[in-house]
Amino acid sequence: MKMFSVSHKTAFVVDHCPYMAESSRQQVECDVLTKSRGQGMIPLAPVSKSLWTCAVECSMEYCRILYDVYPLKKLINYIVSDSEFHILNSWRQEDQSTHELMSALAAVGPPNPQEDPECCSVLHGLVAAVESLCKITEYQHEARTTLMDTADRVANRGRIICLTNAKSDTHVRMLEDCVQETILEQNKMAAGSDRLMSIQQCELVLVHIFPQGEDTLVSDRPKKEVSSLLTSEVHSVRAGRHLATKLNILVQQHFDLASTTITNIPMKEEQHANTSANYDVELLHHRDAHLEFFKSGDLHMAGSTSRDSGLKETVTLKWCTPRTNSVELHYCTGAYRISPTDVNSRPSSCLTNFLLNGRSVLLEQPRKSGSKVISHMLSSHGGEIFLHVLNSTRSTLEDPPSISEGCGGRVTDYRITDFGEFMRENRLTPVPESPDTEASGKPPAERAKAQLERYTRYWPMIISQTTIFNMQAVVPLANLIVKESLSEEDLLTCQKTVYNLVDMERKNDPLPISTVGSRGKGPKRDEQYRIMWNELETLVKTHVAGSERHQRVLDCIIACRSKPPEEEERKKRGRKREDKEDKAEKSINKDSEDKSWQESERLKGALERGKEEQGESEVIKDSPDSPEPLNKKPRLDEIQLPEKAKGPVSLLTMWTNRITVANSRKHQEFAGRISSVNNKAELYQHLKDENGCYLLWTTR
Amino acid sequence: MPTVVLMDASLSMTRPVSLEQCSEELQRKNLAVAGLTMLFEHMANNYRLEFTSLVAFSSLWELLVPFTRDYNTLQEALSNLEDYDKTCLESALHGVSNVVQQEWGHACPTQVVLVTDGSLGIGKGSLRHSLQTLKGRPEDKKFPLPFPFPAKLFIMCIANAEELQMTDTMHNLEQLLQLNGGDGQIFTMEGQLCLKSVQSMFGRLIDEVYSPFPAVLRCGNLASDVQVFPRPEPVFLDEEIDPMPRHILTDLEIVGFIEIGDISSPPVMSRHLVLPIVVNKEVDDVGPGTTEEPEEETSANQQAGKVPNFCVLLHGSLKVEGMVALVQLGPEWYGMLYSQADSKKKSNLMMSLFEPGPEPLPWLGKVSQLGPISDAAENPYGEDDSKSPFPLQPKIKRSYAQNVTVWIKASGLQTDVQKILRNARKLPEKTQTFYKELNRLRKAALAFGFWELLKGVAELLERECTLLPDTAHPDAAFQLSHAAKQLKLASTGDSQYAAFDQNINPMHTDFSGGGAAGM
Repeated sequence: MKMFSVSHKTAFVVDHCPYMAESSRQQVECDVLTKSRGQGMIPLAPVSKSLWTCAVECSMEYCRILYDVYPLKKLINYIVSDSEFHILNSWRQEDQSTHELMSALAAVGPPNPQEDPECCSVLHGLVAAVESLCKITEYQHEARTTLMDTADRVANRGRIICLTNAKSDTHVRMLEDCVQETILEQNKMAAGSDRLMSIQQCELVLVHIFPQGEDTLVSDRPKKEVSSLLTSEVHSVRAGRHLATKLNILVQQHFDLASTTITNIPMKEEQHANTSANYDVELLHHRDAHLEFFKSGDLHMAGSTSRDSGLKETVTLKWCTPRTNSVELHYCTGAYRISPTDVNSRPSSCLTNFLLNGRSVLLEQPRKSGSKVISHMLSSHGGEIFLHVLNSTRSTLEDPPSISEGCGGRVTDYRITDFGEFMRENRLTPVPESPDTEASGKPPAERAKAQLERYTRYWPMIISQTTIFNMQAVVPLANLIVKESLSEEDLLTCQKTVYNLVDMERKNDPLPISTVGSRGKGPKRDEQYRIMWNELETLVKTHVAGSERHQRVLDCIIACRSKPPEEEERKKRGRKREDKEDKAEKSINKDSEDKSWQESERLKGALERGKEEQGESEVIKDSPDSPEPLNKKPRLDEIQLPEKAKGPVSLLTMWTNRITVANSRKHQEFAGRISSVNNKAELYQHLKDENGCYLLWTTR
Repeated sequence: MPTVVLMDASLSMTRPVSLEQCSEELQRKNLAVAGLTMLFEHMANNYRLEFTSLVAFSSLWELLVPFTRDYNTLQEALSNLEDYDKTCLESALHGVSNVVQQEWGHACPTQVVLVTDGSLGIGKGSLRHSLQTLKGRPEDKKFPLPFPFPAKLFIMCIANAEELQMTDTMHNLEQLLQLNGGDGQIFTMEGQLCLKSVQSMFGRLIDEVYSPFPAVLRCGNLASDVQVFPRPEPVFLDEEIDPMPRHILTDLEIVGFIEIGDISSPPVMSRHLVLPIVVNKEVDDVGPGTTEEPEEETSANQQAGKVPNFCVLLHGSLKVEGMVALVQLGPEWYGMLYSQADSKKKSNLMMSLFEPGPEPLPWLGKVSQLGPISDAAENPYGEDDSKSPFPLQPKIKRSYAQNVTVWIKASGLQTDVQKILRNARKLPEKTQTFYKELNRLRKAALAFGFWELLKGVAELLERECTLLPDTAHPDAAFQLSHAAKQLKLASTGDSQYAAFDQNINPMHTDFSGGGAAGM
């Protein structure tokens, strides 16, 4: 878990002296002649790589795997040594790529066999490597800056991998001594410098490369302590395949990697498109992906096999026929970047391309018992492939109480859809880092939180708690008012919404007011509007501090809803009239009204009523000739049939009256109407003895 | 986090406690049972999702109750506990290790509550003997600690500290804790051994380990009191740079929302249920002896069920929309909330904790850089939700995504050469691919200092040129000899021709122009 362990910094020192130009004597036949064309032709002589070429390509492979698995924070400094040292890149993160290194290596070219061997040595490179390890990396710098007074906790450790052709064991010892001395020297210098850090621990890995068919002059030696600062190990390897295997093992050891072989990958054959053969692909990744196997000692059970003379182990996992599951949230305890060991092979590239196209593969752990245990998943995220570890053991959270059994679980009219819409509006998006955003204060995540705060200043959780959020007409205003700032156009839209509401009120359009808690049909029409206006005001008031335009929206509401006292008075009187009109309406919609009356489930009732009333309001809107709302006319309560008061009678009114008369013959007259005095009956007589919700509504 | 109660049932537990003021004679076992009863009662009331098992041990061990949430069964087994012979802790710990591994595997953090009187046996099989012979054991006879799973060891001593310090018992128990990586605690009784002191000791355990984790879940101005179960454990990051444990905040603030497909099965450190709770004015459910009247509780629960709760709303919408809420757990520490369905009917609000750090998921980038959509110039999800700003692409492509050249195996090199030759035979139709492959080979050969290969391929191309059939397009011969010449030049290392970033371009001929004749 240590960030600045030895593997934070790796210095590669590759010998570029004339003897590295020597051939590895491993020949590659690159002219593979096909039978049909090959007749009578002399094939091209096989080519062979030099020691240098072997060293470079194997070190590049080491870097490739490292950068695949650790794209960040594990740094390489590549140094080439001949008569002097050449540093090919720096510790900086942007210098960390194989392309960068290959380009620099091309500029160096192979060693010059004509150069004077006397003045060439790998020592120059080793000294440069120690110096380089003292240089602070951007990560070390950042950690030191943030830690301030405990900056000494930031350690400076590193590793030097030296690829060379040594003369003898004595030569090797000389190289070790030189590194040890240089460390001491550099540490002294670093002590007096801010830009340098003294080395606390250094691992020297010397790889002696010799051509095929020769005997080694240098013996292998496991890791030993040269001093408290330096450990050293020696690997003596033949150039070519052996060297590649060695560096592959080293990169695994150095960076805690492990190998997984995906087996049974079905792949279409090019020649036989209708058949598919099964292939295996080996991947490297952090070894924690195998943690469960290590701990249970199941490594062998999980199909681990040893290859390459027992030096390397791989765990076999079986490909499960993929199913599309991008919307499934797996319980995943780890995800580790992978790198295929044989990146260019056909099976590897088939697998990686399949994954890069956005598909996921579940992997199964082969078990003796035959039970199927899915333990891993391969999946790519933005061009990077990860091995996910899935939890395959029993969960301690099984059988939890359902959310419907807990607090708030019995409430049935949550605004689930509205909140879903709210979540969509509050989705996150990556904001590119730029110096201006820092200057302007809040980081994006804080701005996201601020937006949530604004959006929720007034947010009733259940349908029956709100009127305005059940009204299509309010939507434009409700969507805009939560914004941080309003444009002139936004303000206009808000104002239009308010005018529209005023218009609705004037036309006496019914509102989707909840009947919850109230007996009967609920509050009267003008009462409904009062509730709606109050709620709208509440919503807008929470935002007035935002800007002057927000304030103007509120001003608009207040101006529009406030009625002159005279009219208010008239309205009060008019209310009784309206009750009567309501009754008339009721008799038309008798059936549905009855339903509403009887409806015990509030939610359903509220919803249905909402729908019905929507219908009603449409009827009214659609007939332009219908009379103006009653409460606009003074002293109407004296007249028995209000519709007659105004000249031409609309078809609807005529029809309504006719039906009313017809209906009244079919049923018993309402008790109220019978006991009415001057056609006036006191409604809700029982209201006074009940401190019911009706009072609550009116006093709100 | 499951709990194993490891109860000492050796004969020494039946030693009487000398009590002056108490007429009834009490054994240490009675005290232990009283303490555990209190623990079980507490769990049944306040921590009822915890799985607990009961193991009794003496020289042998026995699993009395497998992992369960049925605290009556546990209580019953405890009351029927018999007395056995001597104490042998090592085998009992092996037993615990087996019981846990069989049930929960190796990744599940577990709590082991060892209840003992502190006489840990004599001679072979005693803890002293086990600890003395730790070193040099064969692989199959290793001491069971540390457990192969993350475990906390709580040692409840039915004895006071002075008593334990008179012998080397305390020292041995401390060693035991160290073997467990220091994870855990030794509890001793204060003052006289009596019911009161044993209750106060278990009360301390309950406070530290089994008290619910109360928090407030916030989304702007919407909020709900919640209990997070199991208690989130403190997390250590880099012990060198950041040695202090990190605790999650009790104020869980939602940052925003992300689609499940975008967050895409992220790795998490732990998962926790987020259960909405009603905070009473006088909660003291932690202290000893306060068990609420069950009837009152149910009616209170029914009441609470009818009050709208933000958690239920959030859960419902997350489930319907297929989204998760990103939640801040602390400075540079985040998690996600989502709907988790156990079976078809039961689902719940779950919180998963990401690893602490500014960028827990590479495909989301830095969490502090995630802002509201309104900050973007145009909706990154598209007007019709057809797009997504996630996943983020890494700056540099991984090797498997960029057609790298590796010639470690001979077959790699052969394939690359054959590819060039195949295209060479199809010139001029395949001119583009031919040069693309040629340049890829050239680049790698230059980087690897493999000039011999460049010469070899040049010769191959020259040979192909001589083998061209009479029907071949005249352009083919020109391109082949041009390419061969360029490769040869590059193989000299002359900086004019061997620059890495330079490419060999197709030769412009009159034939390639199409139709122009006159040579």
